[in-house]
Amino acid sequence: MPPVITLEHIEKRFDSGLLALNDVSLQVDATEFVSLLGPSGCGKSTVLRLAAGLETASAGQVHSPALSTQAVADTAFVFQDATLMPWASVFDNVWLPLRLAGAPRAQATERIHAALQSVGLKDFAQAFPSELSGGMKMRASIARALVTQPRVLLMDEPFAALDEFTRQKLNDDLLHWWQARPLAVLFVTHSVFEAVYLSQRVMVMGARPGRVITEVAIDEPYPRSRAFRTSRSYVEACAEISQALESAQAPN
Amino acid sequence: MSPLIRLALIATTFAAGAACAQDKVTFATNWKAQAAHGGFYQAVADGTYKKYGLDVTIQQGGPQVNNRPLLPAGRIDFLMTGNLLHSFDNVKNGVPTVVVSAIFQKDPQALIAHPGQGYENFDKLKDAPLALIAKDGQFSWWQWLKVTHGFKDEVLKPYNYNLGPFLANPKAIQQGYSVAEPIYVENQGKFKPVVHLLADHGFSTYSTLIEARADTVKSKPDLVQRFVDASALGWVNYLYGDRKAAAALMIKDNPEMTEAEMEASVALMKQQGIVDSGEALAGGIGAMSQARIQDFYGQMVKAGLYKAGEVDLSKVATLQFVNKKVGLDVKAKLGAK
Amino acid sequence: MQRLSPALTLLALLAAWEALVRLAHIPHYTLPAPSLVLQTLWSNFGSLAGSWWFTLKITFGALLLACAGGVLIAAVFALSRRVEVALFPIAVMLQVTPIVAVAPLILIYVESTTAALLLCAWIVAFFPILSNTVIGLRAADAHLRDLFRLYRATPLQRLRLLLVPSALPYFVAGLKISGGLSLIGAVTAEMVAGAAGRETGLASRILEASFRTETPKMFAALTLLVLTGVIIFWGFNALSRALLGRWHAVESTRFD
Repeated sequence: MPPVITLEHIEKRFDSGLLALNDVSLQVDATEFVSLLGPSGCGKSTVLRLAAGLETASAGQVHSPALSTQAVADTAFVFQDATLMPWASVFDNVWLPLRLAGAPRAQATERIHAALQSVGLKDFAQAFPSELSGGMKMRASIARALVTQPRVLLMDEPFAALDEFTRQKLNDDLLHWWQARPLAVLFVTHSVFEAVYLSQRVMVMGARPGRVITEVAIDEPYPRSRAFRTSRSYVEACAEISQALESAQAPN
Repeated sequence: MSPLIRLALIATTFAAGAACAQDKVTFATNWKAQAAHGGFYQAVADGTYKKYGLDVTIQQGGPQVNNRPLLPAGRIDFLMTGNLLHSFDNVKNGVPTVVVSAIFQKDPQALIAHPGQGYENFDKLKDAPLALIAKDGQFSWWQWLKVTHGFKDEVLKPYNYNLGPFLANPKAIQQGYSVAEPIYVENQGKFKPVVHLLADHGFSTYSTLIEARADTVKSKPDLVQRFVDASALGWVNYLYGDRKAAAALMIKDNPEMTEAEMEASVALMKQQGIVDSGEALAGGIGAMSQARIQDFYGQMVKAGLYKAGEVDLSKVATLQFVNKKVGLDVKAKLGAK
Repeated sequence: MQRLSPALTLLALLAAWEALVRLAHIPHYTLPAPSLVLQTLWSNFGSLAGSWWFTLKITFGALLLACAGGVLIAAVFALSRRVEVALFPIAVMLQVTPIVAVAPLILIYVESTTAALLLCAWIVAFFPILSNTVIGLRAADAHLRDLFRLYRATPLQRLRLLLVPSALPYFVAGLKISGGLSLIGAVTAEMVAGAAGRETGLASRILEASFRTETPKMFAALTLLVLTGVIIFWGFNALSRALLGRWHAVESTRFD
């Protein structure tokens, strides 16, 4: 399957002189679920923003649907905060990407309702974000991401601010939504457990400067159940990744 | 009264004054210190008030300052007002104040204009495109000008005591005291303005009146009499005697005043008969008559400012303290006519 | 009961005032009793109403101009940092110069008295709207801005759907402040400057009554001014609730 996102030997230096990424290469295939895992400051969010076209690389090549001149709605982004417009209803928030592409409300209604239905917010279309819980806001954000039927879903620590129960429920739901469509997911997290549970591949990154340390494949088939979290392969994968993280942090 | 008896009286008053404590008196004026207040400052400077057992503090007025409410409120003892309209208003509104002396027989309130603009004729003034009138006048004599002489509110702009707008606009007219503003205009604008005294066109009020509370008059008539007499003497000495000490005091209160301006002003006061004319020639400075008050009120009723019988004229002024020829002998001694 | 309490408090204060005047025999030219003030207001309402209308016209005229001017200048500032840095100090200087000092000068240079009054009130009122709107236009959430970039929003879409709604709470906060300030500016300007005849507002009437020792009339005119201020305050509070009620913390009544 051809890769849908490619980063080749990326270097990213900020205006302050800080070297955020040093020779980072990775690729994501068309229906893959890949996690980027690493400590704070390792540049994982920067990688995501490069893929989204929100930053430009100082050196190296980025290939991504977000950077092509057509295909506007092919890339979706979910931030750590739900990033909903507080002055608009859930319905209007989900409508936003379609609206910006020129679709009037009447034309978009069906797709909006379908998206809300799939994230379980069918009855909250007229609610305002301030009336929703953290988990519901995140669902609305994901509904907005999915309403344009994107090819690529970029997620920057989306569940980090939620409690454990909500987080695990959303993990399962996310896998479910990903499996129901042809979608590549690049998922940034600092939780080893989450990365292993969700992904097919985990790219482990180190900090100062940001670089890829190692890549760990998770062979567990989908759908994954809660039982996976206590299985042997899970524990081993987590251990391997943790080990890689530790040695990356140890002074040379 | 024979000179000997007068001397004896003065001696005892002096002794009495020295023996007992002086009465503290606050007198508020209606403007910053100028020659038109000269007599009062003279009485302070040459010790006349002291001789009469009065420790007088003169509290200046000024731009945007309205000292009038201080009298009924009891914060001051005597108040200088510019014309009888204020007294009519007070009586009409049940404010218990009363006029006890009228220092000016003629109101120096005037309208001034640029020469050579056609304003030499008083009737042309109302056609001026801009009339600079301050708040005090706006709510008193301007109303009379509107009714009696056809002036219009549309041309009125507030006069902020800055000659600039008048000097800059040859077609503008503004208010002034006939014994003051023309001098300043000549100094700053280098021209002699056309001056129209309102008194020459029917505004027959007394001016620079001394007002007191009605209950002060009732309970301390002796105090009032002393203040009225000492003030009259102060004016005689100011007009006809040595003014230097008074001038110094006024400059202390109003540093922007100059002795030359004050001298010019005194000359005009004498020339125009502002202070010492009419009833004052016989009765002494401060003289008043009920007839003249009634006449002026009648004029104002005709002008529509008041309704007939709206003001109880008996309450406006009391004649008990004036018309006693106070100061006439001093004036004669100073060689004035 | 809780909703009635402000009204009851006010009535109690008025009753105390009335009692004080009567028991202490305070003369009406020093402190008139509320009953006398209301009586005077009633009998003079015809003429005071005209002046009230004039003051209202200046107040709301200045407020409208302050909104327009404030928002326009804020938009310019938000677009160009350089322009903002250059011009903001001037805006600040306008703000801090006491209007009582400036009003006589403005009156010398501006022909029409109404225009001069509007200008004075505008100077007092525009700054809160300007400074708040500038902050508001920059307050758009960074991630939302990223999202709009991602979905290739046009500048007009960005303005309409992101910047304006983001700025709205800040603008409304500025508006609430400016509402009261326009009244103060209008009254101050007229106190210092003012005019005669038809073009007079309540401030001129208060001055006139003061010069004619008509104290109850002063209080009557003052009552109308206070009423205006209260109406402005309530009006803008209601507007804020209407615009922001559902979604902004400012209007939220939840405390969890």
